Amino acid sequence: MADPRLFRLRVRYAKSGRLALLSHLEVARSLERAVRRAGLPFAVTNGFSPHMRIAFGAALPVGVGGIDEFFDLYLTDYVAPEKALAALAAVSPADLMPHGAAYVEPTAPAASVACPLSAYRVTFDGPIGRALVVPEQVEVVRKKKRKVLAVDDFLVGDIRACEDGCAVEFTLEAKPTGSLRPDVLVEAMVVKTEAGASSGKEQAAGAGGDMRADASAHEATCAPLPAVRSIVRISQK
Amino acid sequence: MIQTDLWPQVQRLARRAERPSRYLGSEWGATRTTDADFSFCMAYPDTYELGQPNQAVRILVNAVAAMEGVAAERAFLPAPDMADAMRDAGVPAFSLESCAPLREFDVVGITLPHELAATNVLELLDLAQIPLRAADRAVDDPIVIGGGPCAMNPEPYAPFFDAISVGEGEESVPELVAAVWAGRAAGESRQQILRRLAQVQSTYVLSLYRVLDADEAQRQSSWVVPLEEGVPPVIVRRVFEGFAESDAWEPCVVPFAEAVHDRLNVEVLRGCARGCRFCQAGMMYRPVRERSVDNIVSAVLRGLDETGYDEVSLTSLSTTDHSQIEEILTRLNRACAGRGVRVSVPSQRLDSFGVQMAELVAGQKKGGLTFAPEAGTQRLRDIINKNVSEEDLFCAIDAAMAAGWRRVKLYFMVGLPGETDDDVKGIASLAQRAYDRMKAATPPDQRGSLAMTVSVALFVPKAQTPFQWDGQISREEALRRVGLLKRSVKYRAVRVSYHDPQTSFVEAVMSRGGRACADLVQAAWEAGARFDAWTELFNEEAWRTAADKVGLVPETIAEATYDTDYVMPWAHISAGVTQEFLAEERQRAQEGLTTQDCTFDACTVCGVCMQTGTRNQLAAPRSMPEGGRERHG
Repeated sequence: MADPRLFRLRVRYAKSGRLALLSHLEVARSLERAVRRAGLPFAVTNGFSPHMRIAFGAALPVGVGGIDEFFDLYLTDYVAPEKALAALAAVSPADLMPHGAAYVEPTAPAASVACPLSAYRVTFDGPIGRALVVPEQVEVVRKKKRKVLAVDDFLVGDIRACEDGCAVEFTLEAKPTGSLRPDVLVEAMVVKTEAGASSGKEQAAGAGGDMRADASAHEATCAPLPAVRSIVRISQK
Repeated sequence: MIQTDLWPQVQRLARRAERPSRYLGSEWGATRTTDADFSFCMAYPDTYELGQPNQAVRILVNAVAAMEGVAAERAFLPAPDMADAMRDAGVPAFSLESCAPLREFDVVGITLPHELAATNVLELLDLAQIPLRAADRAVDDPIVIGGGPCAMNPEPYAPFFDAISVGEGEESVPELVAAVWAGRAAGESRQQILRRLAQVQSTYVLSLYRVLDADEAQRQSSWVVPLEEGVPPVIVRRVFEGFAESDAWEPCVVPFAEAVHDRLNVEVLRGCARGCRFCQAGMMYRPVRERSVDNIVSAVLRGLDETGYDEVSLTSLSTTDHSQIEEILTRLNRACAGRGVRVSVPSQRLDSFGVQMAELVAGQKKGGLTFAPEAGTQRLRDIINKNVSEEDLFCAIDAAMAAGWRRVKLYFMVGLPGETDDDVKGIASLAQRAYDRMKAATPPDQRGSLAMTVSVALFVPKAQTPFQWDGQISREEALRRVGLLKRSVKYRAVRVSYHDPQTSFVEAVMSRGGRACADLVQAAWEAGARFDAWTELFNEEAWRTAADKVGLVPETIAEATYDTDYVMPWAHISAGVTQEFLAEERQRAQEGLTTQDCTFDACTVCGVCMQTGTRNQLAAPRSMPEGGRERHG
């Protein structure tokens, strides 16, 4: 499997600022182009359409940033990690900036499955003022099919408040069968928390309606939660 | 002056939008000038992924950015979901670099890439909160300048622009920006600034002309006449004479969003003199100007290094006609070996040489090859001056199969002037015989993977071509002919696909319409038409309603056929090719006579070199490979 002539460089980078709105595919393409611009001696696959030998870590959804993301790049020649990093940094957009590079064992697990545990921080526009209610299950639509995911299968540990109550952190585990998107969980928690605080009004607002859109339904019992400012993956292991 | 940063508002909307990456800017290669005294925004009237690869946007932003003290930015039309959200939230159309409202720019340029973008121009202006009509704009509204292919008949767009720049903009657009700047600096009125613009070569300033009625237009040989001294009665297209010598490396933005043609594009030559009589591009980019091998190879290598693209396309109207194409491709192949880079050559010419060139860069992966015979019989190909024979096509197919291709697509048009049912059946016959040829040239055990698609489009008469006087056939007739074609194709392996005649009809109306069409465009947009080029968004009902409202019969505009002495609504615009040449070419078409290509043969006296003060510039003499194109008129 692993080609002994190649060098596997793991590059760490941040997906931040407005580029948090990029999709995984867009990030991957952008990083690959940065590698080419940097002039690194990347390996190329054999076959009908030769392409760069590069492997990306677990995907982040559109709108979710990450401070310690990574990809594995296979090089045909050894380049000192700090030199490779400097070359990459010189040709990377500020919001997709690499900040670390080190060689890893060729036999190490693939980048996409190397770190099943992801910790996220969700920052709100102001203090949340109460504990977020975690729904038992979340309904998602994948390829036009509805699917119900049990939150317990993915959520590891508690929802932890931080930053003076303006943010929460939680950890999700990716399973071989699939994973729960952090933004989907956050949205479900917000809806559940706001609905729970004004459960009497929930029926009045109409079943299935977007609870957050109908702000007046909440005013008597509880103000809606502050808006979500950002969701960021803070670590993976 | 640009000052507002709309990003906080845009970010909130973009988060919820389909593909937020359309609205982010900050791509690699995008530059923002923060200490500029003057500002220009180049806008494309469709979404980011369609507009970002556009050559005009790339070239003109670079050209204006090179001016001292001027900020040059880009803007695209937000997709329908975002446009609606922006209207609801009161967020105006914005530029990508500074996320500034379009209406704060001093000059806004909008390119008009094709006839179906008209309602999008209005959608963009409205979203930008700029008055739709130039006549309604106030002193501090931007000067809105149009240009691009549709400037060949600018009348349906005329009232929405302060000025229209006709032809290649490398030099004229910076000149126009400088003229507006000078006027603004002197505290001049809008009208005074527009007078300055009329002095810039190849600029059509609508408000300085009077529109004539149909009878008077025929008597005066023009539908518009200057209102004052010093305003040109005929606007001749601008030609960038320095093209061949100029650096083929045109810096470009590398998008995050996946764009169409998402690769490095290097323009290797401009112009095509083959002289197909239906083709507007073939008339409006003359003369032919080739860049040198060194210029091209150097641009490709630098471009790959600076952008990080893994694919480069050598663009032009007919890349395989470049006199040194073989040397270019061979050198690039050697230079790019082992880097996982693909070189592509769009639009092969239809002979075995074209296939050899395609093979040089194809690598091991062979997708489909596309050829455009355009018409099914030699008689009709002679009428349209498509100088290829059946034998050319068959030789091309033999070469393609030998090289390992298995899929072929053939492009044809129906409704060409002079077409009969025999020509339509001729398409089926030619396609089937071509398929027989594919089979014969392929080993029996590989014949299962053979596939042929016949793609048919409806002929759209275009301004500044020999067929500008010829009407389009009705939609009913178009469907009948496509039906006839489908029945005539007996092979199950030959698939026929055709383009919706409904949008081709609107194209013809916009292509041939006069000033009255501007009201039609506005009424159509008001009735809900936008993104007409998107099949799933095309709103036929809106165009119908609009025609009734303004009292136009669009069928008359699209379908009327005239004598060559009839003065068309764009008679005051000249592509450089003279009306006499166009009339002569139409006459030759009716007689079935072909006309040669002046880059391979003698001058055809089309008039471009004389009228624009230019000439063909070839990197080396062009020669026909064995067996190619011996048919001349």
